[in-house]
Amino acid sequence: MRESLSPKRLEGSGRWLLKILTGLLIVIFLGIHFVVNHLVAPGGLLTYADVVAYFQNPIIVVMEISFLILVVIHSFLGLRSILLDLNPSPTVLRMANFVLVVIGTAAAIYGTWLALTIASRG
Amino acid sequence: MTNQPWQVQIKIQRQRAGEKPYVQAFALEVDPDEYVLDAVERIWAFHDRTLTYRHACHHSTCGACGMRVNGREKLTCITTIRSVTQNGGTIRIDPLRNFPVVSDLVVDMGDFFLRMNKSDFNSVAPDNAARLPYEHPKKLETQTEGEPERLVDCIECGLCISACPAANTDKEYVGPAVLAAIHLMYTQNPSQKLINQADDHSGLWRCHSAYECTEVCPSGVDPAWRIMDMRKTVFKDRVKSIIKPRLPEKKDA
Amino acid sequence: MPNQPDSNNWPRWFDPRSRSLGTFGYILNRVTALGLTLYLMMHLVALGQLARGADAYDGFIALVKNPLFKLGELLVIAAGVIHGLNGIRIALNSFGIGVRRQKSTFITLMLIAVFIIVFFAFKMFSEG
Ligand code: SF4
Repeated sequence: MRESLSPKRLEGSGRWLLKILTGLLIVIFLGIHFVVNHLVAPGGLLTYADVVAYFQNPIIVVMEISFLILVVIHSFLGLRSILLDLNPSPTVLRMANFVLVVIGTAAAIYGTWLALTIASRG
Repeated sequence: MTNQPWQVQIKIQRQRAGEKPYVQAFALEVDPDEYVLDAVERIWAFHDRTLTYRHACHHSTCGACGMRVNGREKLTCITTIRSVTQNGGTIRIDPLRNFPVVSDLVVDMGDFFLRMNKSDFNSVAPDNAARLPYEHPKKLETQTEGEPERLVDCIECGLCISACPAANTDKEYVGPAVLAAIHLMYTQNPSQKLINQADDHSGLWRCHSAYECTEVCPSGVDPAWRIMDMRKTVFKDRVKSIIKPRLPEKKDA
Repeated sequence: MPNQPDSNNWPRWFDPRSRSLGTFGYILNRVTALGLTLYLMMHLVALGQLARGADAYDGFIALVKNPLFKLGELLVIAAGVIHGLNGIRIALNSFGIGVRRQKSTFITLMLIAVFIIVFFAFKMFSEG
């Protein structure tokens, strides 16, 4: 008898833990984000100049970029989990894996580029 | 009868495998303290001999008579009519969800039983092990020689699988009862095989914390608690194996 | 819809009939998850305006200031707060913590969520 209940393990404790850890960090970052945006900079970052000024602080740049990466990992792992609920065929899952990795990586690169571009305009 | 009889209407979903389901209503005079299963049986006996349903022990031990009563999963042999309707009211009865319908109220639970088997589920366990770990041990009244054994709580009725939203769409998901069985067996006899069965996309990780299983379980198994406790066990085991890599598994005897 | 498990049954994920409180948590989590992922994508595209310079971005912000967009923004905040707080419960439960108190935990966290959402609603719409 096979050890596992199904032929191939498509989701396990590792990915679940990653989802929980990224989720936790997102909650912490969002907390900081809200405090900074609504208390430190009253009225929020509503003009272009505000945003550029905000991004002059390197800690902010690092935080925003890592926040984006965390959110992408968390949400795409979640999407994949929902897809697994639908019991996809191996082909569909392979395609979905590919699409999620490509879009996720693209989003992370694009976001990083955007943050660095804004920061360089100070 | 000890009570004033009640007039109730019983609406049953009828279906032959592969055909369209329809609803048939029966008017019945019942004692409110009778059980829903008694009413179904009476319909079969006096109204329609083609009605099919499963039943055996009539005292919540065999797990055969699970149905949906007014939408909710119930073991009909212990569900009083009084608890689900009033005099002049209606009771709606449907087959369990998330199993193929064989005929009327009979569903095909074959896959479920096979999966229970795969987890090495043993329905007899030492009294200590059969209890939920968070329950306080009860003093047994009669003294027996050696460790007393008893039937474990899960009666394999499938109500939890019927209630589970994740089981709605994924036929590979083993479901709450099987995961609870893995947990139960693991507490008695920890093995890497059970850890690997649980740590699987069609095992622990298909659960999305709706906790419906514990809601409907008629037998106090608390599958949701067991699933989450098993997750903890799996995490612990995985961390341990990182700190101290395991030697390659010996083949199961 | 078939009675047996079938991927076509997915609308039933969102059907709370004949289910209990835990399913509301499950539905909320799933709906907000999908909503927030959609927002993430839209947000990234919209912030591209920043790269196009001050005029483009400030013009975009002026558009976003109308009440309809504000309502959308509030929805995003609400979804984030609900998903985040509910997520704390699910994360703890996953380590076997507080599973038997999951209902009261859920109610408490959702009351906190309502409080935060109302706070933001007031803040956003009173600032004008
Ligand atoms: S865990 Fe409870 S509901 Fe599920 S099959 Fe066993 S007795 Fe029935």
